[in-house]
Amino acid sequence: MCVRFEASNVTEMNDWIAIGALALVGVLIPFGMMTVSYLLRPTVPETSKRATYESGEIPTGGTRIRFNIQYYMVALLFVVFDIETVLLFPWAVAYQDALAADIPLARALGPMLAFVAILLVGLAWAWRTGAVQWARTPRQLDADRP
Amino acid sequence: MTGLQFAAPVDTTPAVPTVPLQDTVLLPERIGELTGLDGFGLGGELLATFIAAFIVGNLMLAMTGVAGPWAKRKITAAFTDRIAVNRLGPAGLFIILADSVRLLSKELVIPENADRPAYDLAPIVVAGSALLGFAVIPMGSGIHLADPEVGLAYVFAVSGIASLGLVMAGYSSANKYSMLGGLRAVAQNIAYEIPLVITGMSVVIFAGTLQLGEIVAAQHETLVEIAGISIPTWYAFVNPFAFVLFLVANFAEVGRNPFDTPEAPTEIVAGYQTEYSSVYFVLIYLGEFLHIFLGGAIIATIFLGGPAGPGPAALGIVWFIIKIWGVFFATQWLRSAVPRVRIDQLIEIGWKGLLVLSFANLVLTAVIVGLIA
Repeated sequence: MCVRFEASNVTEMNDWIAIGALALVGVLIPFGMMTVSYLLRPTVPETSKRATYESGEIPTGGTRIRFNIQYYMVALLFVVFDIETVLLFPWAVAYQDALAADIPLARALGPMLAFVAILLVGLAWAWRTGAVQWARTPRQLDADRP
Repeated sequence: MTGLQFAAPVDTTPAVPTVPLQDTVLLPERIGELTGLDGFGLGGELLATFIAAFIVGNLMLAMTGVAGPWAKRKITAAFTDRIAVNRLGPAGLFIILADSVRLLSKELVIPENADRPAYDLAPIVVAGSALLGFAVIPMGSGIHLADPEVGLAYVFAVSGIASLGLVMAGYSSANKYSMLGGLRAVAQNIAYEIPLVITGMSVVIFAGTLQLGEIVAAQHETLVEIAGISIPTWYAFVNPFAFVLFLVANFAEVGRNPFDTPEAPTEIVAGYQTEYSSVYFVLIYLGEFLHIFLGGAIIATIFLGGPAGPGPAALGIVWFIIKIWGVFFATQWLRSAVPRVRIDQLIEIGWKGLLVLSFANLVLTAVIVGLIA
């Protein structure tokens, strides 16, 4: 290679340049296909065929209405667990090295177990309060009652 | 091996043997050398990198081209005792060409209430993001675009972008089926993303690195030898429980049966892609197939030894393609054989079953590795 920096730096940089190049390809391919399609396809404007599909009926009401999105609590829970996975990755990478460096098991593993346990308590709470359950309509709840 | 240093109490010699790097020459460099582009400074290097990315992108595109219009039909037909496409070319293979012309030359009908920029961007996001993950996958025979230290985390991160595309498609179509499909896709992805990543982490505990090239290299040793056949330390053999968990979470993540509720045809027509036609439909469909293959590529890399297999190392790409087609075949098998779960069941399986099991797997793996070491 012609341009040489520090050996580790150059490979690290090249990695992200290559990923950027693939991102470029990943945008160029869809645009290429859209161009080909633009050249090939017919355009016959007609208002009725642009109507929103609703099993062939005339659509009733709009789509942007208020409704129960069901998993609001789950989404919050997801954020917590997703951040947890980010925090656990460095531990997973360093774990074997730590053991090899004769760090006692309790010190290498203990904090991670405590960390996971705290989050599992959170999950248990969410489970008990019904947050990880698909919400039920009042009618369904009535039907369930003995 | 890693950037993290530990203060060893007594002994300062590195106890962990350094894993030999595999594929140290990545594809952009190799192309630079082969074509002589590396003699042209930074511009030549960038061009070589672009050519390499183009090759990888088109390889994956060709595979989805075979899978979508042809293999999917043939496999489903075999399961349901039919013949499927057989008129054009050997075994009907030329249907790929005919179908791509047919689909691209369809009229693009845009629904009247569509939210325009988002409606047009969604197919590009879905198709483009699926391709990104392949950048760091070591495919063998020197086809490996990049090998950053955060490889595995990167793959999980970019494969999550697709849910953004799906919810864009679902919301901007202004169609009730699309809306339900988009919301279901998100509910499903957030329920199965955590088990997927946590199970992937149990592999990282064995390998001690996130770099995919090194994870593959770490699977080269011999686990046991049975009757002269040596079983390699593929993590699917080392930890079959994690493999099964990962497989299930992956099927849910890419939205295949029995977890294909976001586009359940018997419930919500086609989910988020109901209002898409012509080239936009092709792009979303393409993105879905690329996702199945990306899932297969992740499974092959971290559980099935990547491009490893009997024969010379030059055959690596063949073994790799066989492995990811194996995963694709499994998705089509399940499509023909397993009934779909309901959306509330899906959420419960994810949060109450798979999440707990994946944490159990992680903790057990950590404890066992700790006790053995």
